[in-house]
Amino acid sequence: MAKVAILEPRGAFDHILAPVAPAESGHSLRVSERRVGLATLMALAGRRGALAAALGIALPTGSRRVAAGDLALIGIGPDVWLTVQEQAGTGWASDLAEKVVDAASVSDQSSGYAVLRLEGAAARELLSRGAFIDFHPSGFGPGSAAVTVIAHMGVILWQIDDAPTYEVALFRSYAASFWHWIEATSAGMGIVPHRADG
Amino acid sequence: MSRLDTGGAIDRGRPLRFRFDGRDYGGFEGDTLASALVANDVKIVGRSFKYHRPRGLLTTGSEEPNGLVTLRSGARAEPNTRATTVQLFNGLEALSQNRWPSLGFDLMAVNGLLAPIFVAGFYYKTFMWPTAFWEKLYEPLIRRAAGLGRLSMRPDPDSYDKAHGFCDLLIVGGGPAGLVAALAAGRAGARVMLVEEDWLLGGRLLGERHEIGGVSGAEWARATAAELATLSNVTVLTRTTLFGAYDGQTYSAVERVTDHLAEPAPGEPRQRLWKIVAKRTILATGAIERPLVFGGNDRPGVMTASAIGTYINRFAAAPGERVAIFTTTDSGWTTVDDLRAAGVTVAAVIDARDEPPAAATERARKAGTRVFAGAMVTDAFGKTLKSIDIHEAGRRRTQINVDVLGMAGGWNPAIGLGCNLGNRPVWSDLIHSFILETPPPGMALAGAAAGHFSLGEAVRDGARAARDAIPAASPDVPYTSDDPVGLAPLWHIPGKTKAFVDFQHDVTDQDIALAAREGFKSVEHLKRYTTLGMATDQGKTSQVNGHALLAKSVGKAIAEAGPVLSRPPYLPVAIGALAGHHREEHFRPVRLTAGHVWAVEQGATFVDTGQWKRAQWFAKEGEADWLETVSREALGVRTSVGICDVSTLGKIDVLGPDAGALLDRLYINTFSTLGVGKARYGVMLREDGFVMDDGTTTRLGEHRYFVTTTTANAARVMQHIDYCRQVLWPELNVQAVSVTEQWAQYAVAGPKSRALLQRLLSEIDLSNEAFPFMGAAEFLWDGVPTRLFRLSFSGELAYEIAVPATYGDALVRALFEAGRDLDVLPYGTEALGVLRIEKGHAAGNELSGQTTAADLGFERMMSKKKDFIGRVMAERPGLVDPTRPALIGIRPVDGKSRLGGGAHLLPLGAAATAKNDQGYVTSVAHSPSLGHWIGLALLKNGRDRIGERMRAVDLLRDNDVEVEIVDPVFIDPEGARLRG
Repeated sequence: MAKVAILEPRGAFDHILAPVAPAESGHSLRVSERRVGLATLMALAGRRGALAAALGIALPTGSRRVAAGDLALIGIGPDVWLTVQEQAGTGWASDLAEKVVDAASVSDQSSGYAVLRLEGAAARELLSRGAFIDFHPSGFGPGSAAVTVIAHMGVILWQIDDAPTYEVALFRSYAASFWHWIEATSAGMGIVPHRADG
Repeated sequence: MSRLDTGGAIDRGRPLRFRFDGRDYGGFEGDTLASALVANDVKIVGRSFKYHRPRGLLTTGSEEPNGLVTLRSGARAEPNTRATTVQLFNGLEALSQNRWPSLGFDLMAVNGLLAPIFVAGFYYKTFMWPTAFWEKLYEPLIRRAAGLGRLSMRPDPDSYDKAHGFCDLLIVGGGPAGLVAALAAGRAGARVMLVEEDWLLGGRLLGERHEIGGVSGAEWARATAAELATLSNVTVLTRTTLFGAYDGQTYSAVERVTDHLAEPAPGEPRQRLWKIVAKRTILATGAIERPLVFGGNDRPGVMTASAIGTYINRFAAAPGERVAIFTTTDSGWTTVDDLRAAGVTVAAVIDARDEPPAAATERARKAGTRVFAGAMVTDAFGKTLKSIDIHEAGRRRTQINVDVLGMAGGWNPAIGLGCNLGNRPVWSDLIHSFILETPPPGMALAGAAAGHFSLGEAVRDGARAARDAIPAASPDVPYTSDDPVGLAPLWHIPGKTKAFVDFQHDVTDQDIALAAREGFKSVEHLKRYTTLGMATDQGKTSQVNGHALLAKSVGKAIAEAGPVLSRPPYLPVAIGALAGHHREEHFRPVRLTAGHVWAVEQGATFVDTGQWKRAQWFAKEGEADWLETVSREALGVRTSVGICDVSTLGKIDVLGPDAGALLDRLYINTFSTLGVGKARYGVMLREDGFVMDDGTTTRLGEHRYFVTTTTANAARVMQHIDYCRQVLWPELNVQAVSVTEQWAQYAVAGPKSRALLQRLLSEIDLSNEAFPFMGAAEFLWDGVPTRLFRLSFSGELAYEIAVPATYGDALVRALFEAGRDLDVLPYGTEALGVLRIEKGHAAGNELSGQTTAADLGFERMMSKKKDFIGRVMAERPGLVDPTRPALIGIRPVDGKSRLGGGAHLLPLGAAATAKNDQGYVTSVAHSPSLGHWIGLALLKNGRDRIGERMRAVDLLRDNDVEVEIVDPVFIDPEGARLRG
């Protein structure tokens, strides 16, 4: 009888980022794939308040990101959030579903999206080349988020801090095409993306 | 050499070499190709479109109709490039266009003799008969004789980038008005974008000798540009053409990033397409000088007066040695002063007005220039200009020898962008041209674009526009030197020879008169009948003159004749710039499944299904063709076990207390009664009663359903579900989200599938009793959330196993490892198709949007106990007609002929005509299990015709096979295998 294999996870960008030169802190565009738990969180009718209470978090209204501890919620639709959990185990989404039972429906998306972190001096300019969004600090800062399109690929993106650091969630199947866009666009900016630790 | 010894914004310390039509020339840094040609005494730069007349430069700007060249060579060759906007670089190569064999001697110039044929509307008149001659003879001939440059027909080696801009104030045009506005708004802290097509800021200031702010115009522009560069809130885009205005205060522009270099550095884009959103916009695009319409006005050497001034002042290049100026404006006299200051002989000034400006006249006469007042140039002579005829009221004609004639016919505000959204310009008797009084939302015009032609007025207007747009702005209004703008328009000078209105399309005054006589009296009709203004320059120098002539011909005022609007792009834009990085294999994004790398390793051939790449088959060494491969794969599934990546199927979580209720309304069958841990096949209709999609839905919990769709309809079904729950039935407490990408899912199909999976899933009882057909379970496997479904598309004992896509690559490798001694094999979409055709399952070919549930054999699935989308419309007489084409199977009577999809079914002996058509073949496959071709077809009254023989005729592929109508299920009709 064949040996039972233990399933090893493989990030959507693993084989894409592997050959990319590692980043030092000064590099203007540092890219890494995040290993986080993701879920779509959808409030049941009239249960938004109960959901906030269950999570102990002020639910963002509109396209904003709110973080509390290891959990962040990004508004991606009316009463719909993308939930990002740091240090998530494989069962985290069902734990979440239990926590918010009778208040929200939960769909595990930990594999559905690949989350790419972009940081460094050129990150803002790079994203502005792709998304038709005004990333000027006066209008888009830490906590801002958007559901939009980059190079014909649907993305959810948000800003983490003023470094600036951004994260972009895209359907994992688009990883290769998205990377092509990053490479081509950064070449047009005269820079080269470097791989940071996820 | 006509290069002046001093002056100009060229750098004499940086000489450049370039080639034009195979000859070497020299220029300087700071030249355009046009100015370098002027400095080298190159007078003829092209041949005209229709008559192949020699043409010289008319202007110095992007409105240039004549100086079109093919820039660069080989794959980088770019036809129809305006020499006036090409910044000279070392090694530049350019070729003139539309001449054969050479510019100096063009055989096609004989067209000029045939001018009576090429009148307005000649396309519609001359080549009417016989019809067949048009495509084969007339059109190729005309295309060869007429037209502009030719494409290289080779792939573009350059790359094109995209960018987005947002600002409080967008200023289009970096001339005096735009610069005053930009500086004021920038100093006030507003986010400003300034877009200028030239590589230098300054606009007219660079080409004139005016003073502004106590210094020369060029110096003031340099200082202003330097200050703007220090303001972090101001973005200045030079070499950038704003070419379109759109709804929502959105604009598009193209930045020529490296067009001024011989070739871009690696990775560097050639051009960048900008999409800009501006809260406010100031259109400070200046004005374009009008030519005058007289005989021979297209001779090389005849150009606008302002062009002469600019060639001299900015480029230190004198277009000729003996110049005359034909003017209707004070601005023409400025050029006279410019010429004199540069030491160029001004032989004559012909002012159509009876009283030319006194001081300027005095200065000219003193310098020996003959001044003709109340006079007109009636004709110009020479292949390149040699002499002109001057007509004075009540006197004899005077002929004067000159090699350059400047035309100062007045100025047209450059308002094209302001009209992109349908805003109509109105006639102004004050400036004798069209102005835009009501620009689109957020836009204001300033300076010459608003009809404020004098420099002082333009500067003050730029300041006003800045204050209006940015209330915090307090503009400096610099002092300017005197700039008189008196004008008396003169629209037409009658004469005997051809007088051109549209230089690029060879439209003459006679063409316009003829069009008017033939009834084309609206400007929109005139445009299309004569092609006036329809060339690559969009009539920038010709439109207003054309309208004036039309108005004259039909006895109307120009104000009544009205303007035509202009559409984007304001200037031609390379398609490559619009495509950006989306070209070749990147023309659209690609979606790869988690098992893609594994499939590549297995030597898969991939097929595009929408954006997805799916493995089509996995060829093995020694296999002759795809059919052999696919037959092996299909047979392998029927005899041992095969694995197919089905991750691309649409997957949707439908959740919440009313999830079952929603699904009951979406599908023709019922899901609210489905037990937890069970799957059910479902069919959904469109509102019009035809089948929309099918797939299995599994109930994973009381309030949790997992819906699958076909790969092709995944997005559409998701939209449909969202529309239904958000718009049609918001009262339902149901949530839904696509989880297509979350799960990597593999079909494990074949008699040995249970054995294979049991090896991996030792803790799950896969026996028929514990896990029957259409059963489902979710569990943690090694800590990984896993889903198992007993579904079968192939008709064999089969499962689908799903894990989060992160584990998809590992899962497929584990499956093959576990099945190594079970003859496990991968199969692709083609074998999948064979297996489903053998089982008579409908797929994309049958779910064509033209089939009903009953057509496909699902009539008994349509619930009578509930309402669902499409139920009412599905009862329309045409949809319940018992003779409708129904799904049946076919097989060749001879047992060996090949069947073809798309063939039509005809009674034996009937002629292959549409009248006898009774159905068509939707899917075919070679069944390795049966050893012959089989097919599915939609046949009128099909189910009652089992056993009948017919012809399957495909006239396109020349195929005609006698077939037997059979049940669509070819293999295991009782379903013993899949339940085994």
